[in-house]
Amino acid sequence: MTVHPYDPVSYAIPVFVALILLEIAWARRTRPDSYEARDTLTSLALGLGSTVAGALTGGLVFAAALWLYQYRVMTIGWAWWAWALCFVLDDLAYYWAHRSGHRVRWFWASHVNHHSSQHYNLSTALRQTWTGFIALSFVFRLPLALIGFHPAMILTCAAINLIYQFWIHTEAIRRLPRWFEAVMNTPSHHRVHHATNAVYLDRNYAGTFIVWDKLFGTFEPERDDIRIHYGVVKQLGTFGLLWSAFHEWIGIARDVWSAPWWHKLSYVWREPGWSHDGSRETSGMIRERVGQGLDGFSD
Amino acid sequence: MTLLLLRLGGSLAAILLVAWLVARLELGADVRLADADEARALAAQAVPGFVAQDVALDRAKVAALLRDALGRVMLLRRHGAHFVGSLLDSHADSTLDRQFLTIGAVTLDLGDQAPVWAGSLRRL
Repeated sequence: MTVHPYDPVSYAIPVFVALILLEIAWARRTRPDSYEARDTLTSLALGLGSTVAGALTGGLVFAAALWLYQYRVMTIGWAWWAWALCFVLDDLAYYWAHRSGHRVRWFWASHVNHHSSQHYNLSTALRQTWTGFIALSFVFRLPLALIGFHPAMILTCAAINLIYQFWIHTEAIRRLPRWFEAVMNTPSHHRVHHATNAVYLDRNYAGTFIVWDKLFGTFEPERDDIRIHYGVVKQLGTFGLLWSAFHEWIGIARDVWSAPWWHKLSYVWREPGWSHDGSRETSGMIRERVGQGLDGFSD
Repeated sequence: MTLLLLRLGGSLAAILLVAWLVARLELGADVRLADADEARALAAQAVPGFVAQDVALDRAKVAALLRDALGRVMLLRRHGAHFVGSLLDSHADSTLDRQFLTIGAVTLDLGDQAPVWAGSLRRL
């Protein structure tokens, strides 16, 4: 039997648009500065480009997973519990893919698009990468095929995970019930993830379940006494679509070109902000300096 | 293929509609720097560790120049509904015209402070 992947994301797009319109209505009444036309246009155009890139390369990812599936340890099948288990394990894989997306510059070059807006609203959720396939970030999910989950099930779970993450990109919801905040990724947890405030850098990588951050030591709760600044440590400062999509790749190419031979690869696999001469700062260095009270400012 | 193109066209139409609506509702405030303290705070956020000692606000308060104890100069400029700060590493892209100091695409009206800051940039 040939099984093709089901793509729930394309069916969710009308819901995304409706919720964005709802949030715009909220913004008009409560927070007019939470949207900006050029920022929204850039975010949504990046989202559209991402769906095109996904349509062009999704088949290759599915083929790679199918090839690996031939060598599976066991055949798990299509029972309901298999779906549930696949979703949880896929979310674990997402956690590590996402964490690598922030800690390895090669992956960051693809993921940085999603963080490049200084706004945090539902349109930011759609600010997705065009270069995920080039970055090879899908490899984190492939082990599930080797375990024995069918690739169609894996990609469907991945898509549902992506849909879940849409609604958490908002400032309209402050906190949810404690039990929900304890287990699930929420707007509060994900605001921390998008913040550039030193104390929040590289925290809360979760997709659906925040428990992974708590388990692996990367959880940081949102504090009411800190005003969040969104974006990236070195703000992009442009609404240009192509620069937004490719700037970090260009940065890597420039650094690799100009670095001494024995440091070239480090500009690919080390963390963003790393430099061979110590002239730049990584997020870890910023966190450490601020933790020592040496930054000279507070929020 | 036709379905894919229809989806693409529909998504494009939705994007333009949403962006038009945001513009039509004039969301994204006309942000201005309140004072030098706000400029300092934004500069510290833009470049962690940057503690501004001297600040010159543009007369319209849409940009500022800041200098720290190490002699670094930052241009803080409005970007949409927010501000972005970047450290300047040369004066090559700057020109002085009476009270107007232009750096790249940004022109600051600094009043009688403009020549002083132009001099600072020449030392970079």
